[in-house]
Amino acid sequence: MPIERIAVGLTVNGCAVEQWIDPCAMLLDVLHELGLSGTKKGCEMGACGACTALADGRRIVSCLALAASYAGAAITTIEGVGTPDELHPLQEAFIDHDALQCGYCTPGQIMSALGLIAEGCCDRATIREGLSGNLCRCGAYPRIVAAVAEAAGL
Amino acid sequence: MSGERARRIEGALKVTGRAEYAGEVRPDGMLHAALVQAEITCGDVVGIDDSAARHTPGFVDQVSYDDARSLAPSTATALIREPVVHFPGQPVGLTAADTLLAARTAAARVRVDYVERPSVAAIDQALDEAYAPAMAGRIIGASHRGDPAVALTGAHLVVRNRYQTAVNNHHPMEPHVVVCWWEGEQVVVHTSTQAVYGTRAIIAHALAMPADDVRVVCRYLGGGFGCKGQLWWPWMLWTLTASKRTGRPIRLELTRAQMFTLVGRRQETVQDLAVGFDATGRLVAIEHDVLAQTSTHGEYCDTTAEVSRRLYACPNVRTLHRLVRTNEPQPIPMRAPGTAPGTFALESALDEAAEQLGIDPVELRVRNFADHDHDADVPWSSNSLLQCYQVAADRFGWAQRPASATVVDGRWRIGWGMATTCYPAHRQPCRVRVRLQPDGTIVVQCGTQDMGSGTYTVLAQMVADALGVPLSQVTVELGDTLLPEGPFSGGSQVTASMFPAARQATDALRAQLAELGMGHDETLADAVQRIAPDGIEAEGAATANADIDVRCMSFGAIFTEVGVDADLAEIRVRRVTAAFATGRVLNPLLTESQHIGGLIGGIGMTLLEQTVTDRSSGRIIGDNLADYLVPVHADMPEFDIALIDEDDTYLPGGVKGVGMLGTAGIQAAIANAIHHATGTRVRHLPIRIEDLLHELPATTPGALPSMSE
Ligand code: FES
Ligand code: FES
Repeated sequence: MPIERIAVGLTVNGCAVEQWIDPCAMLLDVLHELGLSGTKKGCEMGACGACTALADGRRIVSCLALAASYAGAAITTIEGVGTPDELHPLQEAFIDHDALQCGYCTPGQIMSALGLIAEGCCDRATIREGLSGNLCRCGAYPRIVAAVAEAAGL
Repeated sequence: MSGERARRIEGALKVTGRAEYAGEVRPDGMLHAALVQAEITCGDVVGIDDSAARHTPGFVDQVSYDDARSLAPSTATALIREPVVHFPGQPVGLTAADTLLAARTAAARVRVDYVERPSVAAIDQALDEAYAPAMAGRIIGASHRGDPAVALTGAHLVVRNRYQTAVNNHHPMEPHVVVCWWEGEQVVVHTSTQAVYGTRAIIAHALAMPADDVRVVCRYLGGGFGCKGQLWWPWMLWTLTASKRTGRPIRLELTRAQMFTLVGRRQETVQDLAVGFDATGRLVAIEHDVLAQTSTHGEYCDTTAEVSRRLYACPNVRTLHRLVRTNEPQPIPMRAPGTAPGTFALESALDEAAEQLGIDPVELRVRNFADHDHDADVPWSSNSLLQCYQVAADRFGWAQRPASATVVDGRWRIGWGMATTCYPAHRQPCRVRVRLQPDGTIVVQCGTQDMGSGTYTVLAQMVADALGVPLSQVTVELGDTLLPEGPFSGGSQVTASMFPAARQATDALRAQLAELGMGHDETLADAVQRIAPDGIEAEGAATANADIDVRCMSFGAIFTEVGVDADLAEIRVRRVTAAFATGRVLNPLLTESQHIGGLIGGIGMTLLEQTVTDRSSGRIIGDNLADYLVPVHADMPEFDIALIDEDDTYLPGGVKGVGMLGTAGIQAAIANAIHHATGTRVRHLPIRIEDLLHELPATTPGALPSMSE
């Protein structure tokens, strides 16, 4: 049973890429094949949020996103948000508030928060609710919410 | 500088996704590996047929017991050398293929034949085989002082109960991973580990190689909490074996489901505890018997009853740990090992006693304060527990504590509870190298690793402080066995271990510069250019602690407010106020993060986390992060953390460990608050809705007492 590969055109962080992928490959694995390792794998079943990315501005768990079905979509990953020398205000707020420890959940928290801010969040309770799909085993939660609230201008 | 709320120095790399975790190196030609897992509970592997697997497109190799037989026998190699199944899901082989999908497909096609044997899938199925291990963690398993049996008979009040805690799994967000490749006779191993040096030693021993031919790298570690250690080694070694034979780099990453069985767990406990008091509330006797699970291939026992030996002043104490071997996964330390389940029992019992004696729970603990370690009969290096009670009680507003089960806030019944926490302060051998670069910047190197606790930042702070340079001038390198040997990340001891070594290295560097003629008012940057244009470096080395005449421990007091829904019995922690005394605080910002994270882990253990085993097959039920509940954003209370700075002149730099403290004590503080809210005493963890649903008394609305600051 030969595994066939198909060509898929994606736009990742503003760059158009064409990649030969397994038809059942998940977007998360394709991102890794592209050398973008900032999007993390924590559970591979949509239960932890570590793999959160934005597709046309909406947050998705990329471990459950069939890559082939995102042909033509604009994907944003953590690599497209800011660089160490030019941090996004939310990234700056994460560092100021010490909203991270091991840092493994952090890209997912940030992508999810960016999506949430775009969806509109009015108070800390909404932030807590809206980010509850992003697990942090180090327990940085209160400081993540503080950072997101600051970036959201609350 | 030390004591400064310095931001995490690797923060910018982590928030931009640029920090490279072990599984993210992608060498050319890399294969992916998958594990073949046993379908039986207990027995022998008598045949492995991989002919179907070999037909999988992309298949490259399969390794199993025969391929590991040449490895040196040890606990790290036993499970991959001996074809014996001890628990369901135990790996019996590993496949390697061009893609992960192909490796998994091939693994599913490997046919394994077994001869099954009768199994024990729960501790109550083999109670008559319980035995007392010599050691519980690093302490003797049994202890005895005075005559507790007689003292209990004559006590004014005896509280005697059984307390139970569930199996928990660590679940760091980063799954265990290894990417390894051979360069001739040398091997490079990128792996998620709490001990790069420990891992190097295991590989060198197993493969009979010189340690210098093994390089282990873990620059960033996505959490560990105790599970990124020895139980991962067998599967990592199989990957190395396959890499050697295929001549290709190989990557093995565990699935979340495998992290329930292959990398350790917090053992369940059944604790029989009796505490006796005189009429004034002074402890006269403690008997603490612990029964816990271990596997059929390894022995591990948490130090669960240790708190009963030394937390309070008590003349008559007997403790005992016993284990039952079952065909379940092997337990290992998990954040706050021993103190988490142990304080749950002891601090719940004290709350029960306080109520029955009519003494305030804080006052009862103050009356039983141990002014020295009664178990070893030695002084504390420092103990600021009384101050912790006072500060935390004031900030919480404890003085306004209302009578039990009287306060209602809307649909919520409100309760307050408190408990004590503690953890031993240890140190390990450590070497640190400090290099002054030609441009005047500093590079610090240590072969420990940063689990997320802030090791990069505090090491930079120590060195910047000692050399009088800004933190921005200091770069830290960790997580590589090419660096000087550093400690494993566990037992809250890395910071304390690094401090004396870093200080020695900076002192040596200064001495060298002085010898070369550095001027008194010269800056390091000017001096290095003038007298050592190629740069200059120095090393420091410190030994483990061998405290015999003194006991070193961190202490804390934790106060909680919970709400219990009057109709649905949903339990919510509303606020947590805690005071922790951990010697000298090097970085309050990062220290608070550690405490909050620790407390959140404890909230998980108290209200959510439970690994459930099928009682006939020993299989884990719900081995995923949807069924194994952990705390999420929406569960968070308000935290108020007080750091009590101590001047401990005995410890080098006055530094004690931080990471474990919040994960103990909180369990009883919550259980005691639930009792205060509802009148129901729950003596097992986790405490869930079903424990309170049937017992809620009728509500009479009352006012919430006003809180002080
Ligand atoms: S890896 Fe996608 S949700 Fe966990
Ligand atoms: S920072 Fe470690 S999991 Fe969130």
